[in-house]
Amino acid sequence: MTELRQLFFESAGELVQKLNDEAMQLEKSPGDAETTRSLRRTVHTLKGDAAACGFRELSELSHEFEDVLTLGNTAAAASVPEIALRAADVFGALLEAYRKGTKLPSIQSLRADIARLAHPAPGGALKTKKKKAAAKTSRWSEYEQLAITRAVADSKRIHHVVVQIDPQCGMPIAARQMVQLALAELGEVLALYPVEGSLDPGDRIEAALASEKPAEQIRAKCSIPTIALNVRVAPLRAPTLSSPLASAADSESMHETAMPVAANIGAGVTADDAPSTGEPSATPAVASGPDNLLRVDAEKIDSVLNLVGELILAKSMLQQALLEFGQRFPKDVLRGKFSDAMAFQGRVLNDLQHSVMKIRMVPVDQLFRRFPRMVRDVGRQCGKEVELMVRGGQTDLDKSILDAIAEPLTHLVRNAIGHGIETTEERVRAGKRPQGTLRLGAYHQGNQVVIEVSDDGAGIDAEKVRQRALSQGLLKAEQAARLNDAETLDLILQPGFSTAEEITELSGRGVGLDVVQSVLGRLKGTVQIETALGRGTTFRLRLPLTLAIIRALMFRVEQRLYALPLNAVAEIARTVEGNIHQVEHYDVLQLRNDVLPLLRLGAKPASEPETSRRKVFVLVINSGERKFGLVVDELEGEGELVIKALDDQSITTDLVSGASILGDGRVVLILNMIALMDRFTRGRAGVTGPRMAGLLSSVVPVGSSADGIEMRARGTAGGQA
Amino acid sequence: MEKFAPVKRSEDGQPVRYLIVDDSVFARKNLARMVETFGGQVIGEAGDGVSAISEYARLMPDIVLMDITMPQMEGIEAAEKIVRDHPNARIVMVSSVGYQENIVAALQRGARHFVQKPVKPEVLYEVIKYVMRDDGTTARGAGAGV
Repeated sequence: MTELRQLFFESAGELVQKLNDEAMQLEKSPGDAETTRSLRRTVHTLKGDAAACGFRELSELSHEFEDVLTLGNTAAAASVPEIALRAADVFGALLEAYRKGTKLPSIQSLRADIARLAHPAPGGALKTKKKKAAAKTSRWSEYEQLAITRAVADSKRIHHVVVQIDPQCGMPIAARQMVQLALAELGEVLALYPVEGSLDPGDRIEAALASEKPAEQIRAKCSIPTIALNVRVAPLRAPTLSSPLASAADSESMHETAMPVAANIGAGVTADDAPSTGEPSATPAVASGPDNLLRVDAEKIDSVLNLVGELILAKSMLQQALLEFGQRFPKDVLRGKFSDAMAFQGRVLNDLQHSVMKIRMVPVDQLFRRFPRMVRDVGRQCGKEVELMVRGGQTDLDKSILDAIAEPLTHLVRNAIGHGIETTEERVRAGKRPQGTLRLGAYHQGNQVVIEVSDDGAGIDAEKVRQRALSQGLLKAEQAARLNDAETLDLILQPGFSTAEEITELSGRGVGLDVVQSVLGRLKGTVQIETALGRGTTFRLRLPLTLAIIRALMFRVEQRLYALPLNAVAEIARTVEGNIHQVEHYDVLQLRNDVLPLLRLGAKPASEPETSRRKVFVLVINSGERKFGLVVDELEGEGELVIKALDDQSITTDLVSGASILGDGRVVLILNMIALMDRFTRGRAGVTGPRMAGLLSSVVPVGSSADGIEMRARGTAGGQA
Repeated sequence: MEKFAPVKRSEDGQPVRYLIVDDSVFARKNLARMVETFGGQVIGEAGDGVSAISEYARLMPDIVLMDITMPQMEGIEAAEKIVRDHPNARIVMVSSVGYQENIVAALQRGARHFVQKPVKPEVLYEVIKYVMRDDGTTARGAGAGV
């Protein structure tokens, strides 16, 4: 049952998304028959699924909506997309409430909208009639009430038929079927109770029948021997109109207070975000694909991936052993055999790792799909016309990464519409197309996935950012002067920064783009901002394909072993301490024609004559517009590291993002690129602070041995997948 | 056994002609004796669904008493096929309580009524009378309602 529920929520989420898509499609081509049909099918499926799972409110509401769509009221067709979008919001909110077992959201305003769609002209009268009909046979479902109401509105004759089943009849459900068939011959069965199961001999069947036949004929027809003990037929007339207000109040008491429509839309935007971040493993490939697909708990895949990680660790242990064996018995034939076997094992392991990783991969489209709706809503709220263009939706990305970037991406999109794209008047004045364009793109680059959010708006003025940062106290004047434009732009990713002249409801809600920076940091990705004044801005997010295993360059600083993601390192330069010069407050190295600012992980050596001849390596880190060198003592090599998360107690600095264990049991600390660059920027700007010396002397806590970290690293094995 | 007023065909006053379909010979004989007390005439019997269909086409009976569970072809399917070819066919399903779902399905596919096993003559009599009523002869689309 829980599996079925899970399946329901996954597919229902998809359906709500589909409803969104179709509604937007319909908005573009109003009244399009094919789109309307497809929308109706979606609502129909949702209704059926919800009913099967016993989610009454959702199934009834979608039933009503489906019915209204079936009516094909052309006069009201124009408002269908709007109501469909609202329905998608309310359905989404209902699903969320069902899933979490929380209080159901109000559905009254949507229900009223749907009813209006069915009967645009008389408005309030409908609701009143419905209520009266309900009062007579309160057990009828909302849908049935609606059907009765509609029939009354069409001035049909409605009969209330009550059939008591013969207590002698052993098969009351078959009896009900007989009654139903008899009724169907007489006219249109608008309602029948009870609908499903739970019928005992002697029970009563109630029906609302629209028929022009006289009551006596109906009674005779339903008096089926051996089934019906007695039959009552009474006219079900349109009730006298009571005050619509009273009936509205009446209906509210059944649910919670109705939200105003506007608030509903607002809530819809946020509710829209919530389900997909919460849904663990809904992938469209799984949901809509052929039958031989399996739905697998994401945790199970994670555990397989963890085991693969352990195997990789085992492989490097074997490699280490083989190396020692080779040194001890260089001429032994066994050595060749071992290394052949190991090479084979290595290849298989590689394939295995990639296969498992592939399982976790889902197309970015899963995330992108929700943006058309968001762009539309946010655009409207901002009074801007924005066209969204999506490409690369098929690019695969690790599911957990995809989930994690949902929030930052949402912020970037909101930001692009709220701050990036100008108002229509401004655009026209600037000689641009009145409609702004927002581009979402994704593609693979090496071992990374790049996700871009770009707008053709006004661009970001670095000078304004500088002033803003100064006025907001994020920066001191001297610091500001030192930052180049790229570094200045990065300030907008700092907590508390906002460029908009006015804080809008949408983007300036206190959490700014810093969420982008912090999430990307956690994911070991980077953010790059590219902007051209008057032409637009691009935010480029670079993400690793997976979080569990990285290709890393290992090196030593002061005898300690560290690693950096290999793709962060652009080049490695060899030099001696003597070539490192000091310019103002930081070390630099002349590298070909460039002056490369340097960052030291270790303490700067005392300036003695012999130190100037000491050999060092400089890792050139190239991240977007910024380039700097990392001074390290020795290179250890490169390799695949299985990342083990470290708990907060073992490491007190944000400079280290994780640890890994090598084949020989040594622990290597993996440096956090983002924090490193952040430190670098601040360090450069800082005048009074210490030079970038001994950065990492604080990394390993005092009194803690490498063994201690190793223990902890092993203890948290697989903590990060 | 009780005495029942004979049920006649309304159009010509002739005895009602029955086809009895059941894989149990005993059940067939039992039903045959019963319908004869209603003044009926058993014109054919069948032990499975397939022969029920061919016997119906050959004999064109007024009423079919059809068991649900039978070899080769079940009663529901046979009933469905007969009604498809002969929309005016009057089929009464005969089954035990456990097959209520099947009865519902058969009714949806065009069977006219049902009786529960063990069959009580007075129940079957009422059912036959109802099914043979004039207004019952109008063709009814299979699968109506639901």
